[in-house]
Amino acid sequence: MGFLISRLGQTILVLFVAAFVSFALFRYVGDPVNNMVGQAASLADREAMRQALGLDDPTLLQFGRFVGQAVQGDFGISYRFGQPVAQLLAERFPATLELSIVAMIIATGLGIPLGVWTALHRGSWIAQALLTLSLIGVALPTFLIGIVLILVFSVWLGWLPSFGRGEVVSIGGWTTGLLTWTGIKALILPSITLGVFQLTLIMRLARAEMLEIMRSDFIRFAKARGLRRRTIEYGHALRNTLVPVVTIVGLQFGNVFAFSIIVETVFQWPGLGLLIIQAIQFADVPLLAAYLVLIAFCFAVINLAVDVLYAWIDPRVRAAGMGRSAA
Amino acid sequence: MSTTDRSNGMIPSRWWDSDILYRFRRSPVAVVSGIVTIALIAAAIGADVIAPFDAFDPATANVIDARLPPGSEGIYGDIYLLGTDPQGRDMLSAMIYGLQTSLVVGLSSIALAAFVGVLLGLLAGYFGGMLDALIMRIADVQLSFPAILIALLIDGVTRTALSRETHERLAVPILIAAIAASFWVQYARTVRSLVLTERGREYVLAAKVTGVSTTRILASHILPNVLGPVLVIATINLALAILTEATLSFLGVGIPSTQPSLGSLVRIGNEFIFSGDWWISACPGALLVILSLSVNLFGDWLRDALNPKLNA
Amino acid sequence: MSALLEVENLRVEIAARARRLVAIDDVSFSIPEGEVLGVVGESGAGKSVTGTAILGLLERPAYQAGGRIVFRGNRIDNLDGEAMRALRGREIAAVFQDPLTSLDPLMTIGAQLVETMLTHLPIDRQEAWTRAHRLLAEVGIPAPRERLQSYPHELSGGMRQRVVLALAFCCEPKLIIADEPTTALDVSIQAQVLDLLKRMCRERGTAVMLVTHDMGVIAEAADRVAVMYAGRLVEIGPTSEILRAAAHPYTQGLMASIPTMRRRGGDLLQIPGSMPRPDAPVPGCAFHPRCSHVMDRCRSERPSSFVSGASLAACWLAEHGAPAARPRP
Repeated sequence: MGFLISRLGQTILVLFVAAFVSFALFRYVGDPVNNMVGQAASLADREAMRQALGLDDPTLLQFGRFVGQAVQGDFGISYRFGQPVAQLLAERFPATLELSIVAMIIATGLGIPLGVWTALHRGSWIAQALLTLSLIGVALPTFLIGIVLILVFSVWLGWLPSFGRGEVVSIGGWTTGLLTWTGIKALILPSITLGVFQLTLIMRLARAEMLEIMRSDFIRFAKARGLRRRTIEYGHALRNTLVPVVTIVGLQFGNVFAFSIIVETVFQWPGLGLLIIQAIQFADVPLLAAYLVLIAFCFAVINLAVDVLYAWIDPRVRAAGMGRSAA
Repeated sequence: MSTTDRSNGMIPSRWWDSDILYRFRRSPVAVVSGIVTIALIAAAIGADVIAPFDAFDPATANVIDARLPPGSEGIYGDIYLLGTDPQGRDMLSAMIYGLQTSLVVGLSSIALAAFVGVLLGLLAGYFGGMLDALIMRIADVQLSFPAILIALLIDGVTRTALSRETHERLAVPILIAAIAASFWVQYARTVRSLVLTERGREYVLAAKVTGVSTTRILASHILPNVLGPVLVIATINLALAILTEATLSFLGVGIPSTQPSLGSLVRIGNEFIFSGDWWISACPGALLVILSLSVNLFGDWLRDALNPKLNA
Repeated sequence: MSALLEVENLRVEIAARARRLVAIDDVSFSIPEGEVLGVVGESGAGKSVTGTAILGLLERPAYQAGGRIVFRGNRIDNLDGEAMRALRGREIAAVFQDPLTSLDPLMTIGAQLVETMLTHLPIDRQEAWTRAHRLLAEVGIPAPRERLQSYPHELSGGMRQRVVLALAFCCEPKLIIADEPTTALDVSIQAQVLDLLKRMCRERGTAVMLVTHDMGVIAEAADRVAVMYAGRLVEIGPTSEILRAAAHPYTQGLMASIPTMRRRGGDLLQIPGSMPRPDAPVPGCAFHPRCSHVMDRCRSERPSSFVSGASLAACWLAEHGAPAARPRP
């Protein structure tokens, strides 16, 4: 349990730093008064506003107030959209989460079996071809994959839509495209685009781990025990391979979130990524500040979840309480 | 780590003395990727000579010749080998200048990241204590965020802090700094761990005892030993940095679209995909893939050939 | 009655980039039922490769290039993978050097025992668990019922090697290939584990091929000794005779190093020089560059095995049945 506590400490530190950067951005980079009253207000009005907002208070007090408001989800009003930031983020969040999860399912669902297969059939030409392909996959920028897919499947073949989410169904404020045919069709190209890089990464990692495990002493001893090949490969080697792979897959989820910014731009996917690109281009300070805190929070949650998961699947960690060595 | 670790081939103490040239010639992947990389760098350096048109000269842009497919002839009889862009600029020339921008940004950001990373790694490893804890904690935190996100946020923050004109003027240095900021950690970690092993060695202790100054010990005894691994990381990271630049420019938050970079060219072309004008995106995109693939393969080979311990 | 295991002219090669390296060559010996044959030599002499070949676990780039391995009258080196697998663990079991890494870290000890038994024996799961419990008790693990549910990392090195022994014995094999079974253990634990191995073999009549570089272990546990040098068998004979009057100068050198070897780390330093590597073979007798009795003939002609008392020695000194030169002082 000791390592979980130290991870928790680190998580809180990350959140605190993110909140402070966000606060500094909000308070000193943007002009909070403009944010509230608009450009047209008179000088006297602005001064009154400054007083009312407590902008002359000590910095620490203001930071405290900022954190207090952030905890309640109050990040102010977006310059560009004129809506409360929290509401904007909440509207866009489901689209991004849905995209990321589907992409990750594609990437792990194909990446782990392919990696294990290429490790077990090292000499075969199919394995070699897959490995070469994965090398190209690493060098392919995500946005280009998206553009090529649009060109082929939307422009030339006309099979799949190239932008938007299609028809979405709202369930208690949570929107999903998985329940309609157009929604599913709209999800195909973006999720593949987002998944390709992760797929190649997971495949190469699973392959490397599997090869390493197959060389290990306990596999040799399992062979000497006369166990069946399937038992050795899938009962022993695969289980041991999955420990580090699952860890990386968990950590990669954060990367998928970041890369969704690119995919959402290419496919005009109405998620957080598209929102934040617009926020950056229009210097929308409140939105940017809130996004920073949100993303730090997401990463913290993912990291903690991975630690818990790791401790759960590996009895050595469970007992000894050592953390994973490095991400 | 003990002396035996070292003799087990983790880094030959003077790697440039090794049979590296021999191994280079034996590996077709290394030869091809190496030649392509060098050819692309040469093309970028000689852009003014090689490019058929000057991509920065508005006079060469000709709206009547806009969006011509590859191999077309313009109204003044110019042949556009790879077609033209929406402003009637020759694609091939724009790509060569774009390559120049991409390589300049990529190389500069890696150089900056390596400099900062090596410096911080040396300090953290040599002095230890609070300084070490602080630097490594920052590194840990930063490592849990993807590079593209850090670069995006830095760009976003500078955009809000500076006026539009200032930001436009400083776009390239800001971009370089933003990419460098997301790549320094690996250098710092590697250098730190190498310094930790070097620090306890006899020759360093001997230098200390004889009263050689700290700066000189770091510069003349420790630094040469960390250069091999740093070079390898830099080569592998170069491909990543180039892709990061292209991605940011594609997103419209990197190089301004007035200046061609491979990413911003793809961005311009992206708007015309639906009219079937695929080459405006596809040509710079393909060049980008060739560049990143060859740098990547060359870096992979270099890592295997030098085999330094990178997962520090 | 024929021997349990017969190895005849075994040759193992390693396919290197341009050529083939000979890892072991012309190795012949036999093990009768219930006997403990010690195989001794420096690291790289080919002891482990021999054991691996018998288990049918040679992996690329190593392969068997010649000779026969006969087990209970049947040739086993040409069996297909599945038939050999059925034999491994059932008839021929193994114990490897490092108990820390021999066990699957993610599986409980009980599960690993049960899995092995269910693979080879016609018993049900419940019976397997009962036997696993009995085995753990037999190898001297305290609170065996609780320990069945333990993961390997929860046990000490000595306890883990006891578990490995339980795994080797769980299907009542006829032969155990024990490759440096005590080397990785603390000195204080080594004797206990060796005693356990000896006792279990005696009780069941199991034969052992005990691979080690430690002459002390040989003296304590082996009925006969085979000495290997540079991929070849140089001497084989009853332990008592080898200890008393070794015929081959190399064996004599090994004997001279026994007293210091009771302390760890002092192994085989008595003989100056080092063993030739497979990539740089020596013409004639492989030992001649280090031999203090070297003759002209040794440099060009490789000696075959000659009878010397109850032993066989591959040395020109033993050609006429005469005892070799006296051990050096």
